Amino acid sequence: MSKEETFKLLSDAVVSCKKDAVVAAVEKAKSEGIEPAEIIEKGLASGMNDVGIMFERGKLFLPHVMMAAGAMEAGVKLLEADMPKDAAKKKLAVIVNGTVEGDVHDIGKSIVSTMLQSSGFEVHDLGRDVPLQDFIDKVKETGASMVGMSALMTTTLPGQREVIEMLKEQGLRDKVKVMVGGAPATQTWADKIGADCYAENASEAVARAKELLL
Amino acid sequence: MTTEHMLRMGDGKRVYLTKEQILTDLRDGMADAVDLGDIPELSGDELDKLMDIITMPSRMVGVEAGMEVPVTHDIGTIRLDGDQGNSGVGIPSSRLVGCMVHERAFGADTMELGHIDYSFKPVKPVIAQEMQTMEVCQQNMVIPLLYGAMPNMGLYYTPDGPFENPGDLMKAFKIQEARESMEHAAKHLTRDMVWIMQRMMASGSDGVNFDTTGAAGDGDMYATLHAVENLRKQYPEMYIEVGMAGELVLGLHGEMTYDGTVLAGLWPHQQAPLAAKAGANLFGPVVNTNTSKSFAWNLGRAVTFIKAAVKASPIPCHVNMGMGVGGIPMLETPTIDAVSRASKAMVEIANVDGI
Repeated sequence: MSKEETFKLLSDAVVSCKKDAVVAAVEKAKSEGIEPAEIIEKGLASGMNDVGIMFERGKLFLPHVMMAAGAMEAGVKLLEADMPKDAAKKKLAVIVNGTVEGDVHDIGKSIVSTMLQSSGFEVHDLGRDVPLQDFIDKVKETGASMVGMSALMTTTLPGQREVIEMLKEQGLRDKVKVMVGGAPATQTWADKIGADCYAENASEAVARAKELLL
Repeated sequence: MTTEHMLRMGDGKRVYLTKEQILTDLRDGMADAVDLGDIPELSGDELDKLMDIITMPSRMVGVEAGMEVPVTHDIGTIRLDGDQGNSGVGIPSSRLVGCMVHERAFGADTMELGHIDYSFKPVKPVIAQEMQTMEVCQQNMVIPLLYGAMPNMGLYYTPDGPFENPGDLMKAFKIQEARESMEHAAKHLTRDMVWIMQRMMASGSDGVNFDTTGAAGDGDMYATLHAVENLRKQYPEMYIEVGMAGELVLGLHGEMTYDGTVLAGLWPHQQAPLAAKAGANLFGPVVNTNTSKSFAWNLGRAVTFIKAAVKASPIPCHVNMGMGVGGIPMLETPTIDAVSRASKAMVEIANVDGI
């Protein structure tokens, strides 16, 4: 089997969302002498990328994304021993995410958190109806480089602006990127309140986070 | 100098575009729908007509004579008496007065009675009040009066309901447990919706409107289709309207099926036949508005999707037209230029049976 065929096998295994298939594909790749970094980058991560595209197109859904991420994690674990210390565990960046105070909507924000996690970010999901100060406290505690805020109601949108003001007051604004989302949020709103980006959906959130943080 | 036409972005902002820019956006929006839904493109004539509708100089437009369609109404009387930032205008009035105003002053062809919470679950403890109000409204009205509410399966999860929140379970990677929680919630939701409608039918209701079906994902739609099936068996003559929450059924469970069809990932033209199969006699397809795209892009996309849904549907389709759906910008009070143009396009090009 050529290297390209093995990478395709790895990628397809991740898209199948089956842990057994991923583990078998990784074992095969290892037996063929392919470097762990290549197995991850050109095989597993490529598969996760395809999963993200299928998610965006409504062909795969959150449980599938999570199963694929779990399967990929199992595959990476098999490679850890052969990789430089801590390389396997290294996260892309730390992100604090939550739905602002007064707003109990959870599903969209949770999908964003999961997609970010699945893409390699360390995500601290604060949940829903989050007191605004908690965003600031968590940023300080984790050293996060991005805050994501969701709001599904026009009445709770201003909470996003308030957190930005609080970041400024605490001298954190230059160190932290701000992403906003939720049904009533728009690019115009993001521009108006001085957020760094607006994301229409979970896939876009991952793309924007990568653009801003990597 | 090139003539520019005033349009809206999906967030309501005014923009000025040339005919060429509008045509490009119409084509791109259409192509997005064709690609996602695997459905046919609009014809050249239909694109020309869309262009005509968008560029008409009048502030508002109407359908051609003879092409009028019935208008069904959801959200009950909340549009009048609601005053909590929910797009109601805060006019103090009883629900009887509200229903009658819709019938006699607003020209609604059907109306629905709804509770202020507008979800089935909170109706359970106030069912006697709902039954009494339905009876009084029926005694004073002529047009079909349905009972309307949202399935809103989210109310069955913690902290609002008895079952563990699948969102929390998912975050802990407990996928199987999350799925089981959705299955339990769906069973209870079906039971509650049937129980409530049995009582409303006993009070003279002409039927039911399941509004924003699928808002909590595929489990929400699963529960609703089973409630429809159950009610149709019990009441062969009742009106059953199934209106959707969004264009795509989100697969929060991912593997729930109805009549052998996986519910996750269904587009409007795939949802309509299933609603009919369950026993609905009216379907309300939805296409979401993208706030970052122009009205032309959104309308081209929405008309393409809805035309396919109308064609595939064995029952009449009353398209959802309002804040953030049907090509209309995402504004609490959508602008009449966009609402009237989108509505005209849905009737004359997508051939909807009603709005």
